[in-house]
Amino acid sequence: MAENNSEDSSSPPKKRKPRLIAFVGDFLISHSYAVSVFCCFAGSVALLLLPILAKNTYLSENALMPGSAKPTFSSQEAVTAKELIKELIDWKIIRDENRMQTYEIIANHMAETGADVYYHSFYSRKKQFHPMSFFMGAPMEDNNNHSSTHAVNSVGIIRAPHGDGKEAIVLVSPYNSDKMELSDALSVGLAYSIFCLLGRAAWLAKDIVWLAADSKFGEYASVAEWLKQYHDPVFIGKKLNFHPVDGDIQFVRGISEDFKRAGTMAAAIVFKVLETSQGTGTDNVNIYAESSNGQMPNLDLINIVHYLAVHRHGLHVEVGKLSSLLNSLWLKMVGKFLEGVSNIVGSLNPKWRFALPVLDYVEGTAVLASSVYHQALGVPTGPHGAFRDYQIDAITLEISPRVSLNSEMARSSFLVRVGRLIEGIVRSVNNLLEKFHQSFFLYFLTSPSKFVSVGVYMIPFGLLVMPLPILAAALYSGKASEALVQKSDPFNTQKSYKASQENPFPSVGSWKWIHAAKLVFAVHLWATIISVLPSLIYQASCTNTTTNFLIWIALSIPSFFFFYWISLSSYFHSNDAGWAILKALTIGAASIGLGLMSIINFATAQIGAIFLVPMCLMVHPLRQIYRGAGLGELLHMVSNVVLGLIGFPPASFILLKGWSQGFEEVNMGDLWVWVENLWSWNSATYLYLLLVHLPCWVLCLIVLLHP
Amino acid sequence: MYLLAKFWEEIEVRNVSTLDSGDVAALIYLFNPLTIAACAGSSTSPIENMMILLTVYGACAGVPPLAAFGWVIATHLSIYSMMLVIPIIILLGYGLDTPPKKLFKTVDKQKKSDAQESSMSKPIKNPLCEGSTQQDQLVLSFSWRPIIHFMLWAGFWSLYVLGLCSVSLKGHGGLREMFNKTYGFILNVEDLSPNLGVFWYFFAEVFDFFRDFFLLVFHANILFMISPLVIRLNHRPCFLAFVYIAISSILKSYPSVGDSALYLGMMGLFFHELAGMRFSLFLLSGYIGVSLLSPVMHNLWIWRGTGNANFYFATALAYACFQILLVVESVGTMLNHDRMFKQQYKI
Repeated sequence: MAENNSEDSSSPPKKRKPRLIAFVGDFLISHSYAVSVFCCFAGSVALLLLPILAKNTYLSENALMPGSAKPTFSSQEAVTAKELIKELIDWKIIRDENRMQTYEIIANHMAETGADVYYHSFYSRKKQFHPMSFFMGAPMEDNNNHSSTHAVNSVGIIRAPHGDGKEAIVLVSPYNSDKMELSDALSVGLAYSIFCLLGRAAWLAKDIVWLAADSKFGEYASVAEWLKQYHDPVFIGKKLNFHPVDGDIQFVRGISEDFKRAGTMAAAIVFKVLETSQGTGTDNVNIYAESSNGQMPNLDLINIVHYLAVHRHGLHVEVGKLSSLLNSLWLKMVGKFLEGVSNIVGSLNPKWRFALPVLDYVEGTAVLASSVYHQALGVPTGPHGAFRDYQIDAITLEISPRVSLNSEMARSSFLVRVGRLIEGIVRSVNNLLEKFHQSFFLYFLTSPSKFVSVGVYMIPFGLLVMPLPILAAALYSGKASEALVQKSDPFNTQKSYKASQENPFPSVGSWKWIHAAKLVFAVHLWATIISVLPSLIYQASCTNTTTNFLIWIALSIPSFFFFYWISLSSYFHSNDAGWAILKALTIGAASIGLGLMSIINFATAQIGAIFLVPMCLMVHPLRQIYRGAGLGELLHMVSNVVLGLIGFPPASFILLKGWSQGFEEVNMGDLWVWVENLWSWNSATYLYLLLVHLPCWVLCLIVLLHP
Repeated sequence: MYLLAKFWEEIEVRNVSTLDSGDVAALIYLFNPLTIAACAGSSTSPIENMMILLTVYGACAGVPPLAAFGWVIATHLSIYSMMLVIPIIILLGYGLDTPPKKLFKTVDKQKKSDAQESSMSKPIKNPLCEGSTQQDQLVLSFSWRPIIHFMLWAGFWSLYVLGLCSVSLKGHGGLREMFNKTYGFILNVEDLSPNLGVFWYFFAEVFDFFRDFFLLVFHANILFMISPLVIRLNHRPCFLAFVYIAISSILKSYPSVGDSALYLGMMGLFFHELAGMRFSLFLLSGYIGVSLLSPVMHNLWIWRGTGNANFYFATALAYACFQILLVVESVGTMLNHDRMFKQQYKI
């Protein structure tokens, strides 16, 4: 570079052919408007095509061999399960002070199978804000923050006859000890029958851990507490004061509170039985897989369940879907349009036919939307989420029977069907030689047997985000070179043929962005402060959600004006066209934020890009648009205002909620509850909303209102 | 805080030319998030940085014992500081940064050709300050006295440090073991745990029988830079020191954010000369992006297990690219800056 410059400085500039990469860069930047429009359009189309681009799932790991062995679960196991179920249901009726607790009943049954049994007691924890928790992996230790009531999990471990005790499979059956329902009893009973069977199984190579989780404080909390104790043992002085002496709890038959462990966990399966029948012809298995911050278990785990349930045991498998989309008219129109295009293309060459039938397309989109939404929320959809924090693949199976389970016959046939399914899953995972690693970790589901992998779903995001840096560069370079040319330079008498490079003593020249950068920095600083406020308000404990929300707003706005005032004076000093540089910096901040978020939680970034990218690209000072009076200007203005409105997180929340549930039910408190849900689950989405989205919105607003 | 207030005040009144570059450098160093990160991580790099700065300061101020002390300790802490001996010698011999000598030769209507190498030992006519009139000239010469002082002091301090080390390491294998565990560790790249640099990934992959060869190649990278830079930048020894530090922090075997903090801070010293630098915003966004992205990538690979080493190494590569761009651009800008004098005087 130095040599090039030295040649140029002595001789007048020749027309040199620029290097290819520089040429492409220049071309893109000089046509940034067209590139932006094209990329946004292509991104939206690619987004709508995702359900069509989904592939069928397949088992990647050969060792799994699901369904290769004949299931041995028989009605005999169902009978043992029914005994426990009856005992648990009867327990509810007995009103006796000295009766055994539920966890004792379960533990006694566990011990009868010859397993290692112990109790794990824990306290419920208050909500806490750990902003960087997604970064640390496992939840942080905090001992002073719990209430006085406790719950007790019963845990049984079967030591594998062929294993070396290094690996384990975990079965979790949550139940609520406070109000024992038939469904809870059935879950525990089902787990017990499988546990009995596995206790006798000769083929077991991994230890089996059965966690009967007392979900008095929530299903997730009990599993999370147990996992924490399993992985981060707490030694001296921190043992929970839970001794037979100081309470009404008496341990029988030498079952202790000493924490026992099996090996590292290969996989975990949580199963819950729902009492209500679906009314469909078959039993229904609902799979929940999303855990914190959009992490998913390995796709092979879902594949096993789907394969066994559908192809071996004739069950119906479902994953969550947004049912409000099923009747959406515009989605059907899009589906029909795509089908029409596909038919036309197919008439040219039948191999080119790509589209799905309209109904499949709409259904796929509804499932995809739910998958994206739940991943983006970053809140686990069930107790399996706790496992993912320790890199253990886990799913929750919610099983609803086809008929009501009040009769004994129905119960036992149901137990046999489901028991065989779970036996098959355990057997398959038992074959696993390493951790799950063959199949995908990053994917969206469009049906239980179809998925969109990371390589495909990154395309629309990439297309949406690509215009951001290009437009930023265009805005910045345009303004920067212009400013440098304008600058009359005392030394450069040879006419500024290379003013942008050769400018010798520019006092601020290329550092012109520093004022705008200061404003951007101040707004982000403000956002950081705002993001800490909700947990502080929660600690100060005002129970009314609407009041809390209003306090939050009331604290945010004055603090914003404070930062604005500090940083703005110099920004306005800079010059009239300062807004373009501010816009360039805003776009730069948005693209860094989106890029970062796409790695932490892709789904959040995807949804965020849909809101943020058009707003950032379109934004233009209203006063300048106002000077023109044509239809184009009017359209530009309206779109700016609309995008600015939608881009404001509370506004978009209210619109979405109103659209899905009706506007009369929306109030401010809901927003607070939603936000509280996000931060108390340590979702990175919360940080994204407040540290990326909100500052960018504010900066866009400043650009809009630029004088 | 006082400095910060002053800085903004001056920026506000747009009187940038009166800003003291030392203040700017101090501000950039002290408020740099990378410095804060290095301190929060209880890294030893601030100590090393202090020694390096002490060296440069001693050389600028013309105090050979101080420069020698800083240089010996900095070299003791990390072998890469040894390179700084070249800028120190030039600094002690000629004095501070000035525009190139050949420029003033053209001014004096001397022949252009005998500009560079031969002039090192000859007395040269040099104006005292930039842009001053031609009449106002002083004779400055390359003086050997402070350099010999520096050498003697450096020898003394090295013996002193080595003596102390040998006393304290008597029971632990002595000096030989110390060199093995310090310089040997740096040169052999024994620790392949992931860091910000580019060595670990490569040496984790390379076959054992090629290892020695590639070690040589990688370390030679830095050595190759030394002589071309000193030829081109011998008139600006402080800037040369900055470039050396930046290059070694890109190409060293175990870099840390503390090294970047040092050269970014030193860049502030050339605030006025580098004002026309291109890509400043791009570099800033790049540094911010990479410094946010790289911990996340590391987390994705090590903790969550959904990524792999390539994810993290990609950020390390991007980081290296941004650093290289920074060095290239700043050197280019500095040379352009000096060239402008020439254009001015030609007319």
